[in-house]
Amino acid sequence: MEKVILIRYSEIHLKGKNRGYFERVFGINLEKSLKGIKHEIRRRSGRYLVECFDEDQTDTILQKLNKVFGIHSMSVALKVATDLDEIFAAAKEVCSQGGSFKVETHRADKTFKLNSMEISAEIGGRLLQWNSKLKVDVHAPQFVIGIDVREDGTTLVFNEFFKGAGGMPVGTAGKGLLLISGGIDSPVAGHMIAKRGMNIECLHFHSYPYTNLQARDKVIELAKVLSQYSCGTKLHIISATHIQEEIHKKCNGDYMVTLLRRFMMRIAERLALNVGAQCIITGESLGQVASQTIEGITSSNSVIKSLPVLRPLCGFDKDEIIERSRAMGAFEISILPYEDCCTVFLPKHPVIKPTLEEVQKEEEKLDIEALISEALKSRETLTL
Amino acid sequence: MIYLDNAATTKPDEECLKRAEKYLYSAYYNPSALYAEGYNVKLALREAKKNILSTVADDINFDLVFTSCGTEADNQAIFCGGKRGNAVTTQGEHSAVFNAAMELKQRGMDVRFAALNGDGSVNIDSLLSLVDDKTSLVSVIHVNNETGAVNDITAIAAKVKEKNPHALFHSDGVQAYGKIPFRLTKNIDLYSVSAHKIGGIKGVGALFKRKNLVIKPYIYGGGQESGLRSGTENVFGIKDFEFAATEKYAELSKNYQTARELNDLLWQKLDKSLFVRISPTNNSPYILTVGVDGLRGETILHEANDNGLIIGSGSACSSNEKKRYSRVILACGIGENIADGVLRLSLSLCNTREEVQTAAQILNKIVKNRKEIMS
Repeated sequence: MEKVILIRYSEIHLKGKNRGYFERVFGINLEKSLKGIKHEIRRRSGRYLVECFDEDQTDTILQKLNKVFGIHSMSVALKVATDLDEIFAAAKEVCSQGGSFKVETHRADKTFKLNSMEISAEIGGRLLQWNSKLKVDVHAPQFVIGIDVREDGTTLVFNEFFKGAGGMPVGTAGKGLLLISGGIDSPVAGHMIAKRGMNIECLHFHSYPYTNLQARDKVIELAKVLSQYSCGTKLHIISATHIQEEIHKKCNGDYMVTLLRRFMMRIAERLALNVGAQCIITGESLGQVASQTIEGITSSNSVIKSLPVLRPLCGFDKDEIIERSRAMGAFEISILPYEDCCTVFLPKHPVIKPTLEEVQKEEEKLDIEALISEALKSRETLTL
Repeated sequence: MIYLDNAATTKPDEECLKRAEKYLYSAYYNPSALYAEGYNVKLALREAKKNILSTVADDINFDLVFTSCGTEADNQAIFCGGKRGNAVTTQGEHSAVFNAAMELKQRGMDVRFAALNGDGSVNIDSLLSLVDDKTSLVSVIHVNNETGAVNDITAIAAKVKEKNPHALFHSDGVQAYGKIPFRLTKNIDLYSVSAHKIGGIKGVGALFKRKNLVIKPYIYGGGQESGLRSGTENVFGIKDFEFAATEKYAELSKNYQTARELNDLLWQKLDKSLFVRISPTNNSPYILTVGVDGLRGETILHEANDNGLIIGSGSACSSNEKKRYSRVILACGIGENIADGVLRLSLSLCNTREEVQTAAQILNKIVKNRKEIMS
């Protein structure tokens, strides 16, 4: 009787001719997530089994798998030979001491002498005889014993379902470039898009010496959290210092954030095209701050020439974002008190509803191309 | 790299480390052990205690307890001294005292904070007005770690005892010990010091204590340090501290004079149109605190760092105002514009006149340039 982990995938079963591709990527992601832990992964007709691991590593493996997108649910199961006595022995092992239950059987091996219903009835009957505190309730049982009769002569027996991260395998939906600050929102935006199968690279702007090394470390830590879900990531770090200084020196200070956002978007698009990303992802939420009014978003969006900008948090309230941030394990890092570049030259009265004419007039005072090239040259890339 | 953040920590003295090395490699025995090797280590500790004690006190009236750092010594004093009635301290305390006092307050004790003068020294009238017959503890920092202002704790302690002879008087002497000429008097009950501020290593501190003063332990266990601070002693660190302290006190006046000259030179070379002096003129010669109007201290700190100069700043890069400004600097009555741009330049005898002059040049250049950008 061997302990194994049974993995069921999410939407992949809806795929038609592409299903094999999705399954291959999913398998690779599972392997990546368990790198460094002794195990073997086998694919069996639409399900995956993690086997040959040390039993004391079970919780660690479940925690790691919990961050792999594409998993619908998991069960820790006992693997036995397809034999009624062995199945019953395993059922006793996974069975609670008392209460109502039902047995659900899935039979892939159609050559087995009993069909699904008969197996459920047989094992259920034996369990009732074995323990008088058990009773059957097929409508609202306290627990379900699952029996999975495989085609290879083995059967899996389990009684718990752990919900997986859902979504699609990362790597099946192209690549996006996430603008990551040190705040709460952007890692959540990255997490949501990675969940739909997209590879994520991150871009962070710093304002050293106006910001410090701790602020940079904070962003690295946030990107590392994200990388646990996105099967690794790259973090590009670019200096926005000179851009901010030039805006401060030459433009109306109330436009600082609006102008800076436009620079960030221009730089992001060029970098995205350079690294093969097919979209830009931001953590903007409509109306959350001055630069995230529809006019602010229109202003920053208008400098993008060819790529779509995904804003998955656009309709979320802050507390909904915080909830997701906590769930993904980023919140405690996000609230560390180090400033990101946006707050250094923050005007007291930022423009809330900038018009494109006004913004373009302010930009005429700047050498945009030179500032962008200079910023891109400052790029540093970390592989996480 | 020019290092002007010696109030944060100093470079360990290599000679002292070498002399103490045998307590790591050969005389490593537990000083509480009964065999001869252990006993000999205990004797070495006794010698260290005697020598350190003799630097600022006599061993007839004073004793000392070794601790793991200055913060622990401060905490022992505050929590063991602040037992009933009220406790009085100042707004200019290091966090080791200030936050311990806030914890006493949290636990329900009446804790009072005396106001500061503009240079960071305590306003003595304010302090004395808070002391009454119910005061069980008064704690006043000796040298303000942020401005370098020196409190005359001998006189202050005498005035406190005049008002309430039963109040314990404690002083955090971390920035004064080994630097300022001073002796403990009968009115000072407890005095905290730290090794790494004077060329010792991190992880060693001490609490000087009036001999007949009975206080409860802060850490319980095997009964080391006369039961007042249990835990196997850091013999290597303590011996290193002994050697560093002895060395510093052998030439205290001469060192003081050298530091004064460096401090004066540093101030002289700084561009007065860019820097405002926060330290008083009779400051500790080891600390010079200045402010820059309209710039953030941390920005200058980073740029100085990139130019080969390490300094301290009084503000953090945070949009949270509570974390951004130093509470001590604000308590001096300094406005937020300057409080944002506070720089602490702190010296040791490792610094040279050339270094100090170069440091001033670097700072003048950076601040001038940054002011032009930000104007």
